Amino acid sequence: MRAALAQASLIRHRSRTLLAVLGVAIAAAMLLDMVMLATGMRESFRRLLLSRGFEIRLAPKGTLPFDTDATIPGVGGITAVLRRNPDIREISPVLGASIHIPVGDRDVSGATLGIDPSVQGDYELLSGRDPTTADAIVVNDYFLQQLGARVGDTVNVATGYDPQTRTYAGQKKLVIAGRVRFIYGASEQSASAMRRETLESMRGADARDRASLFMVRVREGADAERVRDWIETQVPNVTAISIATAIAQVDARLSYFRQLAVILGAVSLFVGFLLVTTLVTVSVNERAGEIAVMRAIGVSKAHVIQQIVLEGVAISVAGAVLGLGLGLVTARYLNTILSAFPGLPMAIDFFLFQPKAAWSALGLLIVSGIGAGVYPAWRAASLPIAESMRREAIA
Amino acid sequence: MLLSVVAASFLLQGTSLPPQAPAVRLRTIAIDEAFAAQAKLKPGDTVTVSSRPAMTTSSREADPGAETVIVGAIVRRGADPSEVARGDFRVRMHLDQLQRVSGYGDRVDRFAIATRPSADVAPTIERINRAAFGFKAYRSRDIAVETSRTFQVVSRFHRAIGVITIVASSVFLLCIMVLKVEERRRDIAALRLMGISRSSVVRSIIIESALVAVLGSILGVALGWAASLLVNWHYQALYRTPLEFSIVTTPVVAFAVTLSLLLGIGAGLLASLRLVRTPPLALFGR
Repeated sequence: MRAALAQASLIRHRSRTLLAVLGVAIAAAMLLDMVMLATGMRESFRRLLLSRGFEIRLAPKGTLPFDTDATIPGVGGITAVLRRNPDIREISPVLGASIHIPVGDRDVSGATLGIDPSVQGDYELLSGRDPTTADAIVVNDYFLQQLGARVGDTVNVATGYDPQTRTYAGQKKLVIAGRVRFIYGASEQSASAMRRETLESMRGADARDRASLFMVRVREGADAERVRDWIETQVPNVTAISIATAIAQVDARLSYFRQLAVILGAVSLFVGFLLVTTLVTVSVNERAGEIAVMRAIGVSKAHVIQQIVLEGVAISVAGAVLGLGLGLVTARYLNTILSAFPGLPMAIDFFLFQPKAAWSALGLLIVSGIGAGVYPAWRAASLPIAESMRREAIA
Repeated sequence: MLLSVVAASFLLQGTSLPPQAPAVRLRTIAIDEAFAAQAKLKPGDTVTVSSRPAMTTSSREADPGAETVIVGAIVRRGADPSEVARGDFRVRMHLDQLQRVSGYGDRVDRFAIATRPSADVAPTIERINRAAFGFKAYRSRDIAVETSRTFQVVSRFHRAIGVITIVASSVFLLCIMVLKVEERRRDIAALRLMGISRSSVVRSIIIESALVAVLGSILGVALGWAASLLVNWHYQALYRTPLEFSIVTTPVVAFAVTLSLLLGIGAGLLASLRLVRTPPLALFGR
């Protein structure tokens, strides 16, 4: 009965109800997007860091991984020190460098990682094989496209360019052994990987026994934060970064987006609330006489309140459902815009749909819809019956 | 105190000094105010700068390039958007001093060249590049375009959010105006029964809608201006920068007021046309 009356009231003014539902839907979409932005970025980054199971990264003191060209000397010594800790399961030293490959009359440049293929956590093999031999290199699709080459081709790779003498520190013919996808790689970034020993030998004395980064996997059940603290005391020339530290650093750098999301999310919620309140209030004012008649024939106060609150809830639920679809579409579009950030790993999503957070946000909107109906409902139920009927009769 | 600075994160931004100051006299450096606050340094303090990470002052001997200097100045960074989200600190040294400490020798990362206002830059760049050995000249504007890609992305994102906000506001405004006009269906019915023409009723409603829209816009501009002050105050403090994050410009105000006026008039017109086409008695519910 209550639902039927609420439905009749909403249907009576179709265009007005539709407009209100559309308004709530846009507010819901915005709220959903902002919740996805506020929580998704952090979760996406955490998943990315944990995707290969390396919980700790070591970078040159005072820097973030690959933030500068600085390297860590004494790879052998550091590895030996780290192996003393029984909580450390795997150590993967990585050396970064730029490489240049001549193709016809042009020079294709890209980044390369010197890795140990048996413990690497930087790429996923798509086809071919890992660079297990000294003359092998694996490249990503973008690099392959730039080179116009295929797996199995031999390329002349040079590194350590000195602009003063216009010479390279080293050159070597390498065979493209496989196609890979770099987990932390940006889109439109030419990237490759080879054995660390190969890269060291090409770069010469400058890079001997050096690494740009160490990735450390801890034993299952071990406390990564304790291991991190231990590393920092044992190896003073590195900054040890755990997943939590890395997320905190990224949070600090991208705090702007999180705060923007919170502000816009709050504004969306408020706008949705205001819209439903206004609509229901106007609707109640219009029906003052009708409500007075209902009260006069014995309909209880509670019945009137429930009917009016139901109207608010119906608009909010319809808006929220429509907003869910709209929000997912706009989130995808906004994510495409932010994915163009230079150097951002392809796997990072700014807008990540997390069911729990999304349902909480839409639930909050529906609760605000209930709240929005309460004031007009209370006003309607409190109308003096005789006075309202007299006014209606005079009108 | 030993001040460790990683060579690779050095910014070669120094000024050439006259040849070698007296050996006994310590030279000066300038540091960021954020760095000064964190390291509790003040002008006149003595620190040792080194290109190698170190934990104790004993490693001073391990780095022959390390140099003891006096904090001569504490500086505030300029409004550089590319540095906003970066938390690293900057130390400004004399060029020769930095070359020695970092072990760079007689090298620099870049030269900045100022041309005469009347000079044609393109042929100058071409001439430098023809004669250059080991470096390449770029126009500052081209470098700025390349390094501002991040801000282009942020700008596109802001524009997209802006469009969504405008759509949401438009629907909201339309809804409110339609409701407001419909609320007065009885007044309009009375006016029509008194013999007031349809066009007069429509005009009066449009004028009323426009007035409401203008008043709302004025309030909105005031709110936006206050929000802008709040945003700047918060982010300038957060990132320790004089950069302005939000600026209320005349075109922005004009756009907002015009849009709300158009929407207000549009909504008033739609609702009033609907009402004047309905027979007055029907508006009374009879």
